[in-house]
Amino acid sequence: MTENPEQEYAADESTDDPTTDDMLVETDVSESVAASGPTMSANTVVRAENINVWYNDEQALQDISLEIPENQVTAMIGPSGCGKSTFLRCINRMNDLIDAARVEGDLYLRGKNVYDDDVDPVALRRRVGMVFQSPNPFPKSIYDNVAYGLKIQNKKGDYDEIVEESLKRAALWDEVSDRLDESGLELSGGQQQRLCIARAIAPDPEVILMDEPASALDPVATSQIEDLISELAEEYTVVIVTHNMQQAARISNKTAVFLTGGELVEFDDTEKIFENPESQRVEDYITGKFG
Amino acid sequence: MATQQEQIEGFGHVSRTIGTVFRYVLLAATLFGIVALTILLIYVANDAIQPLTADPGWHLTFFLTLVVPTLLVGGYLLRTDPASFRFGATVVGLLAVSTMFAGGAAMIFVDIVPPVVWFGYVVALGLALGGVVGIERLDRRLPFLARFVGAGAVIVAALGIVPGAIQSLPVYPTDGIMLTLSLGAPVAVVVGRYAAAEAGRRWTALAMLVALAAVGAGEVLGPLLAIGAVPATVLLAVAVVPTAGYAVGHTRRFPARRSGLALTAAVLGGALVGAAAVDALGFAGPQSWVDWQFLTSAHSGTAAEAGLYPAIGGSILLMVTVAALSFPLGVGAAVYLEEYAPDNRFTRFIDVNISNLAGVPSVVYGLLGLGVFVTYLGQPTGTVLIGGATLALLILPIVIISAREALRSVPDSMRQASYGMGATRWQTIKNVVLPRAFPGILTGTILALGRAIGETAPLIMIGAPNVLFSLPTSLSSKVSAMPLQVYAWASLFASEPFYQAAVPAGVVVLLIVLLSMNSIAIVLRNKYQTDQ
Repeated sequence: MTENPEQEYAADESTDDPTTDDMLVETDVSESVAASGPTMSANTVVRAENINVWYNDEQALQDISLEIPENQVTAMIGPSGCGKSTFLRCINRMNDLIDAARVEGDLYLRGKNVYDDDVDPVALRRRVGMVFQSPNPFPKSIYDNVAYGLKIQNKKGDYDEIVEESLKRAALWDEVSDRLDESGLELSGGQQQRLCIARAIAPDPEVILMDEPASALDPVATSQIEDLISELAEEYTVVIVTHNMQQAARISNKTAVFLTGGELVEFDDTEKIFENPESQRVEDYITGKFG
Repeated sequence: MATQQEQIEGFGHVSRTIGTVFRYVLLAATLFGIVALTILLIYVANDAIQPLTADPGWHLTFFLTLVVPTLLVGGYLLRTDPASFRFGATVVGLLAVSTMFAGGAAMIFVDIVPPVVWFGYVVALGLALGGVVGIERLDRRLPFLARFVGAGAVIVAALGIVPGAIQSLPVYPTDGIMLTLSLGAPVAVVVGRYAAAEAGRRWTALAMLVALAAVGAGEVLGPLLAIGAVPATVLLAVAVVPTAGYAVGHTRRFPARRSGLALTAAVLGGALVGAAAVDALGFAGPQSWVDWQFLTSAHSGTAAEAGLYPAIGGSILLMVTVAALSFPLGVGAAVYLEEYAPDNRFTRFIDVNISNLAGVPSVVYGLLGLGVFVTYLGQPTGTVLIGGATLALLILPIVIISAREALRSVPDSMRQASYGMGATRWQTIKNVVLPRAFPGILTGTILALGRAIGETAPLIMIGAPNVLFSLPTSLSSKVSAMPLQVYAWASLFASEPFYQAAVPAGVVVLLIVLLSMNSIAIVLRNKYQTDQ
């Protein structure tokens, strides 16, 4: 791994992407997530252009184009089967693991098209953290769970320190600091999910993808995870898929609404989506008339 | 018109006659098999051990010293504190099973592998491992090929030179000391790590030292108890020290379960007191066929002097060979088929054929072994290697199927998590899938070995001798096995005393060995299930 992966990534094929240039990548514009006003000033981290996905002959996503801003929480909502998780899995090419899935279109991460032939999906996934629907810690110790990404990537550095730092960021350190060598499976569901978040942020990814991270948790654990996501957005770009519209309204800066058939119907600031959506279908969905 | 006044007289009745009949037919079917098997086993055990030939006083003494206290203590614990009862019973079971394994290991060190050879190889292996780790640590910038070649050279050099050098030393330590170092040290490390996990890190060193010292005591205790230094050391290293380590570690972690040791004390103490009492009172025990003489002597023309010793040793060696051959091959094939192979017509064809091969009669495998190894490759008939290879082929499909089952039981979410972290397929398999599936794989392999240990037909086919008078000393010596010896007694030497006593005694020993092997599988499976 190189010293400054970010630069290499963007500089490699900056010609591919006309809108994001090196200067933009370097500048650190938005530090505050709390600002829920217009977020036009933020850098784009992920930019999708005409993404189409098929599972065998069935089209799961139709011409999705959107831009995900840096250091903000972007929520994807929509009814079951609308393709929001499929889109999330396009970002780190997890769809490659499904034989039946076929992806067309371009998806730029920091200006590099991840669907270019020279992109190694494994190397890509090392830049993108992922948290899944149900907590899935490895049957290893808490320490080894968090250090997993560091070990497989052969990263240099003080693992103890990184593990502690990651667990603190995931708001789990106080609960587990004295039992790091116990199995991750012995934790409660909410703790397991925070452990998975710590595991995802330990290798310091560019983007964190969360696929309904709280849907298997009780309300208390859910609210802990939500607080945590808001905090993470100070340092990371978070993309979260959720079934729960209130959750999207509470924690996200931007919201994308997918509706049945794999269409992206509307993508805008969260406030706008929930208070004054452009599309009648989105309004119907949000007010519960449909979906 | 549903008013609140409307009332229901009754709900009627639904017939369950057929269901009830079905249920009891199933119960009868279940019981039929179990009862038939139990009766058979009681007959065989009765013939082998002949408990009724003992003095009634003998029975009464053991009833009073062993059975009554065990029932009282066990019953009391079971009612008041089941966790302690389980702990106490586990300690007894562990001691019993590990004593069997110690017997097998002692047999190997007394008659097959001299302790000095074993010591030489353990030292060589230790040096080789140290060298490889040293090369890895020395400089991670060395290219992979250089590290690979270096590590290979160290391993070859250590294994090639050290054992010979140690054997050629003019003076070397006594067998007991060498075994203490080469067998006791790994046991001490395991006990120490266990103590660290159960009782805390600071106990590690102490636990290791105590364990090593305890194994070393075999050098002194062995001659005192008139069983020799080597068997005593092996017994301590394989049975006593691990069991004691488990008991101590567990009581430190769960002090409340300490009362479970009362059950252990009742069983062990009762047996000792009973043995001393019948000795003092002069009560004769049963004229059991399964006795020291039977276990330690070879076949003889007279049934009373016949024994199973070469066959037991042969079976142990065969099992080691079979495990060494079938485990890597079977697990390797399972990992490939489950994790790498694409789902196409060819792999489905292989799938179906593996399932079919698992059902092929064992005599066919014997024919295969004879044809391939003896006729085609020109190997001598009936050797440990040929027998082991044939039995390994026999259980290979079972190992593959059970290993695939274990791999399939690893939740896909674990693989997804690993891929999501940017792990390659190899890293995912090595770090996540295999560790998780390992207990299941091991369980399946052990149960498959259980099938191999009872096979007679393939061994007859490849020309294993029915009767052997000494243990095989190398992979190319002729081998006999327990089922083969029993079969020989039942057919070639068929006479009243042989098939009335020697055969049942052989069967009982075979079953005991089989059960102790399967008990590992059961323990692993239980641990596996509680982990999930």
